[in-house]
Amino acid sequence: MPVVDIDTDELRGLTGRTDTSDDEFKQDLFGLGLEFEGETDDGLLQFEFAPDRLDRLSVEGVARSLRYHYGDDRGVYVPETNDPEWTIEVAESVPDERPYVTGAVVRGVDLDEGALDSLIQLQEKLHATMGRGRAKGAIGIHDLAMVKGAPLQEGAEPSITYRGVDPDGDAFVPLDSNDELTPDEVLAEHDTGRTYADLVDDLERYPAIYDELGLFSFPPVINGKRTEVTTGSRELFVELTGTDQWTIDRMCNIICYALSARGATIEEVEVHYADGATAPSEYGAELVRPNLDTDEKSVSHDRIETLLGVDFEPEEVVDCFERAGLDASYTLDEDVTYEVEIPPYRVDVLHPLDLVDDVGRAYGFDNLEPRYPDVGTVGGRHERSRLEDAVRTSLVGLGFEDLLNFHMTSGTENYDRMNLGAGADAFGAGEPVEITEPYSEEYTQLRTWALPSLLMLLERNTHNAYPQDIAEVGFAAERDDREDTNVAERRHVAGAVARRDASYETAKGRLQAVCDDFGAELETPRTEHPSFIDGRTAEVVIDGEPVGVIGEVHPAVLVEHDLEVPVAAFEFHLDALGQ
Amino acid sequence: MRLPERQLAVLEAASATDERTIDEIAAETGLKPETVTGAAFDLRDEGLLSVVETAAETLGLTDEGRRYVDDALPETRLYRAGLALDADEAAVSMGRVIGEAGLDGPEVDIALSNFARKGFGTIDSGELTVDPDADPDADPEAAALAALADGDDPAVDEAVLDQLDSRGLVDRGESVTRAVTLTDDGVDALMTAVETTETVSQVTPELLASGEWRDVEFSEYNVEADAPTTRGGRKHVLRRTADRVKDVLVGMGFQEMEGPHADSDFWINDCLFMPQDHPARTHWDRFALDVPPMEGIPDELMARVEAAHRDGWGEDGDGYHSPWSQEFAREVALRGHTTSLSMRYLSGIAGAELEPPQRYFSVEKVYRNDTLDPTHLLEFFQIEGWVMAEDLSVRDLMGTFEEFYRQFGITDIRFKPHYNPYTEPSFELFGEHPETGEEIEIGNSGVFREEVTGPLGVDCDVMAWGLALERLAMLTTGAEDIRDLHGTLADIEFLRDAEVSY
Repeated sequence: MPVVDIDTDELRGLTGRTDTSDDEFKQDLFGLGLEFEGETDDGLLQFEFAPDRLDRLSVEGVARSLRYHYGDDRGVYVPETNDPEWTIEVAESVPDERPYVTGAVVRGVDLDEGALDSLIQLQEKLHATMGRGRAKGAIGIHDLAMVKGAPLQEGAEPSITYRGVDPDGDAFVPLDSNDELTPDEVLAEHDTGRTYADLVDDLERYPAIYDELGLFSFPPVINGKRTEVTTGSRELFVELTGTDQWTIDRMCNIICYALSARGATIEEVEVHYADGATAPSEYGAELVRPNLDTDEKSVSHDRIETLLGVDFEPEEVVDCFERAGLDASYTLDEDVTYEVEIPPYRVDVLHPLDLVDDVGRAYGFDNLEPRYPDVGTVGGRHERSRLEDAVRTSLVGLGFEDLLNFHMTSGTENYDRMNLGAGADAFGAGEPVEITEPYSEEYTQLRTWALPSLLMLLERNTHNAYPQDIAEVGFAAERDDREDTNVAERRHVAGAVARRDASYETAKGRLQAVCDDFGAELETPRTEHPSFIDGRTAEVVIDGEPVGVIGEVHPAVLVEHDLEVPVAAFEFHLDALGQ
Repeated sequence: MRLPERQLAVLEAASATDERTIDEIAAETGLKPETVTGAAFDLRDEGLLSVVETAAETLGLTDEGRRYVDDALPETRLYRAGLALDADEAAVSMGRVIGEAGLDGPEVDIALSNFARKGFGTIDSGELTVDPDADPDADPEAAALAALADGDDPAVDEAVLDQLDSRGLVDRGESVTRAVTLTDDGVDALMTAVETTETVSQVTPELLASGEWRDVEFSEYNVEADAPTTRGGRKHVLRRTADRVKDVLVGMGFQEMEGPHADSDFWINDCLFMPQDHPARTHWDRFALDVPPMEGIPDELMARVEAAHRDGWGEDGDGYHSPWSQEFAREVALRGHTTSLSMRYLSGIAGAELEPPQRYFSVEKVYRNDTLDPTHLLEFFQIEGWVMAEDLSVRDLMGTFEEFYRQFGITDIRFKPHYNPYTEPSFELFGEHPETGEEIEIGNSGVFREEVTGPLGVDCDVMAWGLALERLAMLTTGAEDIRDLHGTLADIEFLRDAEVSY
């Protein structure tokens, strides 16, 4: 879940609540769903919240939410914007993999250390969340005074160009460096370059932003040092590139709202996609950004009442909407429906239901009285679940300790240490269902049978008293193309008797008792199995079907598991008892 | 006449003329005093022996009393410290005297109150004066303590004893001495030959069949001794918790679900309206399986789910601005939650098309790539439940979950508004730990979004919740490391010793 770092002095300034203590803020923020997590080394308070309200990723957004919460603000607010002077030209050479760009010019900023830190933090947090680690959207913020707009022709407006660059093309000095590096050198030599290299390194041309003086930004990797933002910066150029226009536009809006909250003026920019550039079909080739248009959705009064279980007057609902930072209007027809206006920093309203949630939060879910629903249904267990349970009860009655083992294991445990080869013609040697990218050598596949788990448990418990009679009714799976999922999943019944006097007979007596409990006919024709001693191994045949194996575990397997007592064991398919 | 061996021994040791105490008879017969007492009462009941009981007061020192014998009474120490500081000539601050006396804690109050009571001096305005004429050495309380410590039976004044008793320095008790004499019948019995009944160690079939058991005495066991350990089999502690959960949910009208552990991402995530570029769907968090993609997904359903992701659901719905591909949807992975089962049941593919109202649950395993630690496993059990009905409200959700958790002793549930991609509104559930009183997260819940229910063909409300079974088990068993419970690292002793919950 995202975490926002808050300087409470900043919060006091931005909310105008100069007398509110840190503890009071913590409580109020908890009410909004921001949970206090701890403090940073610099004494900032950290709050964790669910990743829906990404407009709260900075102190400015948190302050805005608090002002609505306190009732200091109501309804939708959209900052004024000035007409565009600057243009972002999108050249044909822009990589197809990262076609979209958006931006804004911000004037009259007054960045003290706190405000600058907050801006950098917001940028990084947006990268981590909506920007999907900069892959989907990356933000570059520049000191506009250091950008030299290149007029395409005499008398034209100033512009910058989003274009492609050869990996070993134009060099520039990136942030946190003093050397002129080509894009490829940045990826190879610069710390930030190395971190984000895999986002671009398989592209034919890399994304780059140029002004009249040349390359000054290498999105999504790093900005140039020339346009670095400092506390002295008064005018900013914000640009965002990415794989989705809507996403970068919303990220841009959140940045603009944050800067506007500190008194800055937002100025639009034009975005021109060149003919050969991949134009965003949805929005056309000529855009004016940022797009601070509000959205509208409608939701019925009836839906709000049924979902929250509360009777409302329409005025109360409108009041809740306004306290949530939304505007709503309605006509008093038979069926009241609200037309709700949604500000452009919200990224979480996909459906009218989301508006009902906003009403609920503004009304206070705490104010709802729980009630047990008056809905009659009949309960019951699944048949297989009852069978599993009945077999477990039988085994426990015979003195077995019931086990619960992991379903994931490794080929070493599942086959090798059982003296078994994968694909061998033996019970348990089925084809494994393997994990595509295992994270650990211990968990690389699903177990094809349960006895290896039982042996592992015995291995772990050699320091404990014997006898150790253990059993498990559990999951096993093997690859099977006849199945819809290409995985055959079964429940197995496995039992092992580890004690000085354990013998084939000990195991068979118990297996016979289980079969008797379920009225199943057991036969044990002689067979061979690499995990068991020859001549002391049999197939488990239940009601005429071969379903498992029983025998004295082979000394090679015992020694492999550091066991110094004989073990007799059986395993078979649970279904055999469920006829 | 036949008597058990030990009764006969007691009878023979008793005299018709002299009273003999139990202890004397025990010493003579070599029997334990309690055995002799038991036999004596049995003999009295047969009229062979008379038993006389004499009660006597016993006196002893408490631990505190014993300490004062060694260290002197606190008031005496205060007096002597006062003298040492010349408080017989001029008043000295109380703190100094207490410090000099080495008094500490409750002893200070004890010293001050008894000092005044015994007239060792006066205390006024926080200053202390000692009376040079007082003589702690002649204090009868100290003398009585010393005498009791020596084991003498002190001829102590009753008032002094009461005082010591009220100060908690002596234990006053009562002991009963029993003495026996032979009755006339007893003498007669001894004159005629009394035989011992036979002692046997075990009830045998022969003994029962012959009726001989009536005439034998069974040898005594030390019934307090430990017996050899007996191990029965037991159901796994986590299974028992799961059983309890199932019982509760069945009682609340829920039907159990089942379905594949290895399933397509379609059922695991896409149906849940999880965008395909959601961080939880990256390869780091899931266990993708190396098997061919799943073909058997109904085309129409696939199309509806894709439409919900791309364009939203309903007139005013918006989709995600995320890439979406059928190939990814068909990939097979281990389920990260059992909500895939809920999706299958709600879609009707797991059985019949469901008409409201319905309640369903499962307590089944899920797989998540997490770091193994005392509270996290790669595989754990999820309790999943949902209710389908017309016009369900958030209040119904709250009422249902309150009832569920109440069954496990967790009350005062708090519903914290939350966000899940698949439910709206959503709530994290918090409750008080039944033992520690700490507030802990105990589940996640909400009403399924229309982007979830709509494509599945469900046009009423469905509310759902999920919770890790291990979390509930740790709460109810007090286990601190989940690895002790679950998996091949389990300690068999821990499983054998875990308290049975019900």
